Amino acid sequence: MASSPALTAIRSNCRKVICIGRNYADHVKELNNQRPKQPFFFLKPPSSILLPGEGPVLRPNGVNMHFEIELGLVIGKQVKDLNTEDDSEILQYIDSYLLSIDMTARNVQNEAKKKGLPWSIAKGFDTFLPVSGPVSKEVLADPHNVELYLKVNGEVKQEDSTELMLFRIPRQLSDISKVMTLEKGDIVLTGTPKGVGTVQTGEVMECGLRIGGKEVEEAKMRVEVKDKGGNYEFAET
Amino acid sequence: MAKQELNQHSDHIKELNNQRPKQPFFFLKPTSSILLPGDGPVLRPKGVNMHFEIELGLVMGKTVRNLDPDDTQGALDAIDSYLLAIDMTARNVQDEAKRKGLPWSIAKGFDTFLPISNSIPKSRIADPHNVEIWLSVNGQVKQQDSTELMLFRIPRQLSDISRVMTLEKGDLVLTGTPKGVGPVTTGDVMTAGMRVDGKDVEEANMKVEVEDRGGAYEFAET
Repeated sequence: MASSPALTAIRSNCRKVICIGRNYADHVKELNNQRPKQPFFFLKPPSSILLPGEGPVLRPNGVNMHFEIELGLVIGKQVKDLNTEDDSEILQYIDSYLLSIDMTARNVQNEAKKKGLPWSIAKGFDTFLPVSGPVSKEVLADPHNVELYLKVNGEVKQEDSTELMLFRIPRQLSDISKVMTLEKGDIVLTGTPKGVGTVQTGEVMECGLRIGGKEVEEAKMRVEVKDKGGNYEFAET
Repeated sequence: MAKQELNQHSDHIKELNNQRPKQPFFFLKPTSSILLPGDGPVLRPKGVNMHFEIELGLVMGKTVRNLDPDDTQGALDAIDSYLLAIDMTARNVQDEAKRKGLPWSIAKGFDTFLPISNSIPKSRIADPHNVEIWLSVNGQVKQQDSTELMLFRIPRQLSDISRVMTLEKGDLVLTGTPKGVGPVTTGDVMTAGMRVDGKDVEEANMKVEVEDRGGAYEFAET
């Protein structure tokens, strides 16, 4: 599976990746988290993007690495101070969709949460954002009615509809754009459903997207997992 | 991508009642937060207690990955140029994030929350660990210290960052702020600058006004 020119261009044009946290009820529960009163979000650096054909996701030493399947949006025009709950009104701001895995160093994140530290390291390692697509708006007419799935070594781990989002996309784009202007080319990740878990070296993740029960071919993704080696080793901050 | 190193100077740690870290940690500011000279004021969102933090910034000149912390020359060679920057911070938003274990991205990421100076050629700064940076509010000096007070020096910062995430040409690294951070409100004017061997570095001079943002954001509990 090689990367398309379209995906390569998406990565080149991406200046930020912004991700909503805790946006599916059973995912909030499974990690023993508090359900937020309003959306919150965090940044992943574009350097973490991994395109199809670019090799495995790399697990750093001492990291308990989790997968989180997510529907991604590529922003098509600037969004600033948006204030809408209307599902149809936001379609003009979306250029296309991506399937993405928000790889997370769970133990690094747990330490960050305990000590009130930023999440940027836990979320920001190289290769921690495998993506596939793009999927056009013609094919994916309703982003709130898409089934996402992720398997590890053939076993289904996550499989749920985006209709389960706690905060829908208009609210997400509104809340983000009141803080930071969304620019053409930015990527927004819209949250992960229940079923997140660990992957180890040698394992293979396969994921995809279904609309009306039918697989969307351009979103299919297969990513291997390998140990990173290198100089990083998880230690207390 | 604007990357930020929170390499806290020791007295800055104390003034915010923080723990001194055993190793560097860092956070990201989005490029949308950059405010260029002449692009208007810093905008304070509703309900935000907005703090200034003067910092020396490095503009990366090449890809850096897994840099050895002892490779001082490699670190310096990877720097293309310098700039002065103010890491504007929504302090109350950040306090809530720290209390609840939430990300810092909102507290650090508002539009206009990264005013920068003009580019400072590398030749103006022989030693980035021996530069005085200062910030005044309405003519009164608030921060004024030498970068020699950094707890983790630049090679260590670039090493720690680049073993997590590859640094790319054009990336911006902010190297931490000394003591003296504090709030600014609408109508205040921040000026800032840099001295090398007691002499002003012209390119580093900054003057930024502060205004209320208006708009739809209002700080509320997460």
